[in-house]
Amino acid sequence: MTDTILDKEQKLVQLLEQTFKKLSGKVVRQRRVTVSVEKELVPSVLSYAKSQLGYIHLSHMSCVDWPENNNFEIIYILWSPADKVQLFIKTLINRENPEIDNVDMIWKHANTYEREIREMYGIQFNGLVGAQEFILEDWDDMPPMRRDFDTVEYVDDNYTFRPGREDAGDVREEIVKRSGEDIPDFAKKYSRD
Amino acid sequence: MAFFDIKGLVTPFTALTQLGKAPHTVTFPYHKKETAERYRGLHYNNIEECIGCGNCSTICMNEAIDMIHVDGVEGGKGDSGLRPRVDNGRCCWCALCVEVCPTGSLNLTKEYIYVTPDADAFLWTPGVSNPEGKEIISFNSSVETSLGMYNRIPMPELEGKERVKSFAEVMLYYSEEEAREEATRCISCGLCTEVCPAHMHIPEYINAIAKGDDNEAIKIIYDNNPLGELCGKVCTRRCEDVCAMQVRGDAVAIRWLKEYAVGRAETADIIKEIVNPEIKEPNGFKVGIVGAGPSGLTAGYYLALKGFDVTIYEANKYAGGMTMYGIPKYRLPMESLDKQIDYMKSIGVKIEFNTKVGKDITFDKIYKSHDAVFVGVGFQVPYKMGIKGEEAVGAFPAVNMLFDVNNGKTPDIGNKVVVIGGGNVAIDGARVSRRLGAEVTIMYRRRVVDMPADWEEIEGAEHEGVEIMPQTIPVEIITDENSKVKAIKYLKAEMVADDKGGRPRPVPIEGSETIMEVSSVIGAIGQEADYSFFTEEALKEIEINRGRMVVDENMMTGMKGVFAGGDAVNRTADAISAIADGFKACKSIEKMLVK
Repeated sequence: MTDTILDKEQKLVQLLEQTFKKLSGKVVRQRRVTVSVEKELVPSVLSYAKSQLGYIHLSHMSCVDWPENNNFEIIYILWSPADKVQLFIKTLINRENPEIDNVDMIWKHANTYEREIREMYGIQFNGLVGAQEFILEDWDDMPPMRRDFDTVEYVDDNYTFRPGREDAGDVREEIVKRSGEDIPDFAKKYSRD
Repeated sequence: MAFFDIKGLVTPFTALTQLGKAPHTVTFPYHKKETAERYRGLHYNNIEECIGCGNCSTICMNEAIDMIHVDGVEGGKGDSGLRPRVDNGRCCWCALCVEVCPTGSLNLTKEYIYVTPDADAFLWTPGVSNPEGKEIISFNSSVETSLGMYNRIPMPELEGKERVKSFAEVMLYYSEEEAREEATRCISCGLCTEVCPAHMHIPEYINAIAKGDDNEAIKIIYDNNPLGELCGKVCTRRCEDVCAMQVRGDAVAIRWLKEYAVGRAETADIIKEIVNPEIKEPNGFKVGIVGAGPSGLTAGYYLALKGFDVTIYEANKYAGGMTMYGIPKYRLPMESLDKQIDYMKSIGVKIEFNTKVGKDITFDKIYKSHDAVFVGVGFQVPYKMGIKGEEAVGAFPAVNMLFDVNNGKTPDIGNKVVVIGGGNVAIDGARVSRRLGAEVTIMYRRRVVDMPADWEEIEGAEHEGVEIMPQTIPVEIITDENSKVKAIKYLKAEMVADDKGGRPRPVPIEGSETIMEVSSVIGAIGQEADYSFFTEEALKEIEINRGRMVVDENMMTGMKGVFAGGDAVNRTADAISAIADGFKACKSIEKMLVK
């Protein structure tokens, strides 16, 4: 039963794996296939999927930061109106020197996604033409969507507290005040910040 | 642009392709477009539902949320009395505050236009500044999708059928992994600490467990509770009733986590090594303590640490009071209690066993030979049921039976037992009777939901095959010719709403009289104190009101230098309240004698 349902998805994986040796694919569920490729192969896989397999639409481009593995992951989400299948193409790039080829010659609108990812994660897209600034103005800090970017610290450094916030209380202190609890100093490091 | 620009001439005519198509019309009057279903606009907070835990304020990465006092909101049990105020000039509408709100009171609305010439007006209190927001909530959180963890890690326990075969401990307690996971559920708001009679540092020790610092957790627990393991096993845990997670999910298993931490220290020596308390030089003052129950032990422990010469006079063979003789061993094993008391002895608490004050030593003598006296005698004498046939052989109070069983005796209860009452003692009596091999029925005047016993205890009893008969009023114990219990006569009751607004009263249904054959009747309807050990002079000064000693805010009775605590003083009558009393009395005694 499930075999027949997932027929076209499995065929897609098979086809891609046959065409590209260094590619591994997986059927996630009905209408969703994900494949992992090396970053050098990305333009080839994308243009092959677009021209040969009917995945003519780039729905989205996204990026995930994995500081744990020292990687960024770029995800291209393609859509085939004929198959009605979403194809996720994922690739890992090194976090130290993050660069990957630009693909806006395949889909023009990839340009916008790439400019956004460049600004928010600091990833270089080789051959990308377009204004350096996307949304952020005069940004000279770490790209803000990286996970090691400390938002609270940034906010502290760049914004003043609006007057009238001095009366803010602390929940734990409020309760201690009422109950008369006496928290020993050595325990305070475990209290909520 | 060239003169012969064909494209420029032709392009305007492309508009002709629109001919024959349906016109695009705009409705009049103009309707504002609906925002997306989960649109993240301005905040709305349901002030009544909010408990002021401050989780929103903690998670906000823009430091946009403050917790402030709001008019008309009073803090109380389970409510800090503070409410969030948002600086909308800083908010980035990430909605993490909504995601982590344990009560679900904080939401984002469809409203997103906010224009004002006064920039300071951006600082406002959701729900107070925009009560109309309630109607246009758009982004909310649900228990299923929230980042908060609402489900408790289940506590492994023995199966009901296995349990009744012996007095082995029922709870198997958390493994390290389970405890860490359960501890991470805590949001550290500290609402629990207010209702804990001892005001234990709950968020701190739970955080220590979450971070893997079990020894630090033990130290934090011992800061104001020297019977952590006892509480970890049998505490009435009112803390869990007000846990922020309990509003929409399961309360954090505060009691089991405490058990986990203190249970890591397997012997008295290990406890001493971990807690490593600072024991002050002897200060020359002597304190006598009557009764080695939780309150007496607590007072004794902290007084000994402060350099007092402490002697506890205990009538029985073992220390622990009601927790030793009243709580069955499947809930609190002997070794656990021994370990905690051995540790106390090791730091210098002296206990005189088998020394009943008033019989083996007079109260007067204790009073005269010590600088201060602490009385923690508890409630030992059971109330009478006040029904006919109560004096029959085979009718006895639950506390007496528990005392016997905990002393290693096996009372003859026959094979069909009725327990009367709905508190923890009744449940203990019933579950012990099951373990002695009898069929057990609990008769309680009101409904099951009204039972004062711990819900987990009630559930445990049911799993072990105890039958609970709610709304049942016993009227007479029928005896045979040898005045032995033969049967019990009871009436069914219906619940009638109380006119004065109190809880519903049970009223017997006429003609519902039934007789059930039984072999024993166990009463568990409460206890009172026995003050006969006090001398007459002492009783003149110590005021006793409705069976309880009256103390001032320093836990001192009317007699100078005589302090009291525990069941015989407080109304809540549980171990943790007794511990709190002992701790408080210790501070007062120190203040009176040293400072």
